[in-house]
Amino acid sequence: MVLDSHEFMTRMARRTNFTPEDRAILQASADWGLEIAPDMADAFYTYMGNDEEMNAILNESEGRIHRLRETFVEWFHEMFTGMDDWGTDYADRRWRIGLIHVRVGIGPQHVVPAMATVVNEVGQRLRSEGKSDELHDALSRICMIDLAFIEQAYLEISTAAVLKETGWTEKLFKRMIATGAAAST
Amino acid sequence: MAINLEKISAILQNFVSSTNDVQGAALVTPDGLPLAATLPGGMDEERVSAMSAAMLSLGERIGGELARGSIDRIYVEGNTGYGILTSCSEDAVFLVLASQAAKQGLLLLEIKRAVTELKTLLQ
Repeated sequence: MVLDSHEFMTRMARRTNFTPEDRAILQASADWGLEIAPDMADAFYTYMGNDEEMNAILNESEGRIHRLRETFVEWFHEMFTGMDDWGTDYADRRWRIGLIHVRVGIGPQHVVPAMATVVNEVGQRLRSEGKSDELHDALSRICMIDLAFIEQAYLEISTAAVLKETGWTEKLFKRMIATGAAAST
Repeated sequence: MAINLEKISAILQNFVSSTNDVQGAALVTPDGLPLAATLPGGMDEERVSAMSAAMLSLGERIGGELARGSIDRIYVEGNTGYGILTSCSEDAVFLVLASQAAKQGLLLLEIKRAVTELKTLLQ
């Protein structure tokens, strides 16, 4: 089970209605995005640091938080530039970021509230600087797409590990999840 | 050639009714879908099928990891009876449920016969 990141990106763009207009608005604000990225990183890691479990993960090895912070700034700016117009490079990079989250043990329970913090911080910044609602909407959509990548990476990697260790087919695994879920409700 | 499900069902029913102390049997795909089943009342055919496929597959994986060679069958022995899973070609798993009173030698022989018959229908 290997995710086709480009196909996933296309599907998510369609699902969130991430339009060419959104892309143009984001690209037009790319410099602004880069300018506020360090502040967003500060807000993000302050939030994460206040969570005992997250703080332990972030500081597990020397220099990890520094590297992650640098990645955050790049990630944030790329949401505006779209790298290759939100194409294959963008999708591959989002997938790799998702894999890093899985590797360091940051799961959906951590990522969703953390992403909400970013969206909230950016929203406040947009309002305080009198930016347009259109930019706010475009940014919200691309944030949700990026969040979907991270969530999907967690699911894909967990599933792949189970399938590898058990020899189960993907269809069997999905059937067991469905019957297990039905039995639990 | 299409798989003759009617004949498979007949083999299963005959196996259950004519083999001493056998309480049920099912033939399922490696994806855990039932092909045919004659199970005791109250057992969920879908769940039993998924579990059977999962267990045989896991058993094969364990067999490989522990260098036990290819796995012929898996036993589940409880205080009220047995569950025996046998690989039946690459396309199916044969599950047999038997009571504690079942004579294992006889049971294995009957399973072997049934599997041979089923395999010809699955080809």
